[in-house]
Amino acid sequence: MANTSRSKRLMTTGGLIFLALGVILYFAKEPMGLNRKIYDLPIFLIIIGICFAVKGFMAREKTEEEAALAGKNLTEFLANNAILIAMLVLVVVICILQPRFMQIRVALDILTQSSTKLIMALGICFALLIAGTDLSAGRMVGLAAVISASMMQTATYANRFFPDLPQVAVWIPIVAAVVACMVCGALNGFLVAKYEMHPFIATLATQVMIYGACSLYFDMPPNNSQPIGGIRPDFAQIGQLRLFSGLWKGFPGISILIPISIVICIAIWFILNKTVFGKNVYAIGGNREAAVVAGINVFRNIMFIFILASFLYGIAGVLEAARTAGATNNYGNGYETDAIAACVVGGVSMSGGIGKVGGIVMGVLIFTVIQYGLQFINVSPMWQQVIKGVIIAVAVAIDLTKYRRK
Amino acid sequence: MRKVFVMTLALVLALASCSFADGVKIGAGIYRFNDAFMLRFRNAMTAESEKLGATIEIADGRDDQNTQDAQIDGFLSGDVNVLIVNLVDRMAAQSVVDKAKSANIPVVFINREPSLEVLNTYDKAYYVGAKAEESGVFSGQLIAEYFKSHPEADKNHDGKLQFILLKGQNGHQDMILRSKHSVETIRDAGIEPVELASAIANWDKLEAMKIMNAFIMSIGPENIEAVIANNDEMALGAIEALKAQDYNTGNPEMYIPVVGVDANASALEAMDRGEMLGTVLNDADNQGIAAVRLAVALAGGKDISAAGYPVTDGKYIWIPYQKVLTSER
Repeated sequence: MANTSRSKRLMTTGGLIFLALGVILYFAKEPMGLNRKIYDLPIFLIIIGICFAVKGFMAREKTEEEAALAGKNLTEFLANNAILIAMLVLVVVICILQPRFMQIRVALDILTQSSTKLIMALGICFALLIAGTDLSAGRMVGLAAVISASMMQTATYANRFFPDLPQVAVWIPIVAAVVACMVCGALNGFLVAKYEMHPFIATLATQVMIYGACSLYFDMPPNNSQPIGGIRPDFAQIGQLRLFSGLWKGFPGISILIPISIVICIAIWFILNKTVFGKNVYAIGGNREAAVVAGINVFRNIMFIFILASFLYGIAGVLEAARTAGATNNYGNGYETDAIAACVVGGVSMSGGIGKVGGIVMGVLIFTVIQYGLQFINVSPMWQQVIKGVIIAVAVAIDLTKYRRK
Repeated sequence: MRKVFVMTLALVLALASCSFADGVKIGAGIYRFNDAFMLRFRNAMTAESEKLGATIEIADGRDDQNTQDAQIDGFLSGDVNVLIVNLVDRMAAQSVVDKAKSANIPVVFINREPSLEVLNTYDKAYYVGAKAEESGVFSGQLIAEYFKSHPEADKNHDGKLQFILLKGQNGHQDMILRSKHSVETIRDAGIEPVELASAIANWDKLEAMKIMNAFIMSIGPENIEAVIANNDEMALGAIEALKAQDYNTGNPEMYIPVVGVDANASALEAMDRGEMLGTVLNDADNQGIAAVRLAVALAGGKDISAAGYPVTDGKYIWIPYQKVLTSER
């Protein structure tokens, strides 16, 4: 019992120390001329401090058994959270190497970049939860980006994809792009559910088909495979709008992508945890035969899984096109591997049935911070690839040892 | 005396331009019709032939060297007096030259350059094109001229130019030459270039946007004095990243000059909006005109100098790239 209250007290005091340090630095940085050395560090310290203090204060009393377990398995705790710890170390190193990292705008930028990745990861997690995978995800992003961008060009642009297309309402191409993706998703689901094809093969086949179809569309005259440009500002706003910008001096604003991904995140959490469909996904992933015996309509659920996932890829593709004000058939290339890796880092098991939305959010954030951080200190792209690979391998190794023990 | 000379010259030129192409028939092979750059090239060739009174027949190689070889055979067995060839595969140059040589018909290569050894195997084989290094020189000049005429562009007042370089695909000829010559040109203009960072963005807008974003965050936009991109797509990606930080959106306090190469439609539009400083145009129109003029001269039994362009090594006519500046549009 004493053990528990000690850890609780430790967390609260630790949080308060951070908070105090943050406040002191906040007022000290101007007179001490630290502005260009620590940037927004005080604000981060204050936020971290408040989080810890509140968490320590609110933490429920642990039972003796749990406390004993927590104490005994410190090494296990470290091993299970190796990637999170590695990320924290990396962040500290980057902050020392390049103090500019400690800026609110950098944190917001990381969140912005996480947004589309999170949407992708939330889509792909369904396939992972039924012990499958989805290799077509990235190409669907490209398809949605090209379709939506091709119909959203300004009237005066010289190389219009459809020279005679009037200025249509913004929702039309978005719906067209998302529906096109959902058709591809339905094909995925059909192959997997009807023929019991392994999702790896089924989605590999659709991946190749989608890329080919997208390239054909992209190569149609008069476009002839030129990058699509001249995007209408009202469409670009869907990905570029910043809320509350200029709220105070130097505040860059919150990208619209962040609230969009939060809404989607809440919706997926609700679907997975509060609906029959969500329970069925876990059931099918945990034990397919048992699910069949229990009377779950596996065919319908698998179809729905892939269609829902492709809906999310479609949204991600439209947002990518809007954010970058352009599209080529190469958009989204490799996004599925990033999304799968983020899910795995976030604790989604490749053997199905296990994974939480909260974990996926963490996985995406960890992965984005690491990638962003490496780019930030200008690590060569080749090294970035090596490091990314190591992270994935370590994450899967942890995943497997964790469940073997059980 | 001088007046008489000028009048004679004018008369000769007038005669030359109206009559010396009569009856000339040009056979032209293009590597692929659905290429925007070659489309401009073709239109220029057709218009110039019409102007000179020559007839031109243009064949679509459909991106297949075998198809193009068959088309060239067709031209040679027909009644063309001269060939213009935009090879599908540069390695096929020798066989095209051999065919033309045995038929004793002059051949002008365009856009895809055969090696000098190949051109040297036939006294009537020539090349009309643009030099990649020149595009680098011009993008360097665009930046150097801007820097000199806008003292505020030197944000830290150190007299040096702190720039970011976005490069094309690794090992690509254009990427190497453009990168090298753009920076050298800035130095030659008397400004010391300081490379803050450079990265390979594979000619790609999305990749360039991602990389530029990281540079903006880690270096700070207030420390960047110019962005040089090997092509327009990467320049546009950099601009999207800058716009996300409220740069290059019309506020002169927050502006970083960005240059690209290609003069594609999106770049010209960005320049119209004042987001991009300039680009360099690969001049398809003038290359097409020069190719036809050379072909007509050769068909009339004249040599390369009769086309009216400066000649290099007796084999090449180089058409300059053109700078395109925001202020000029």
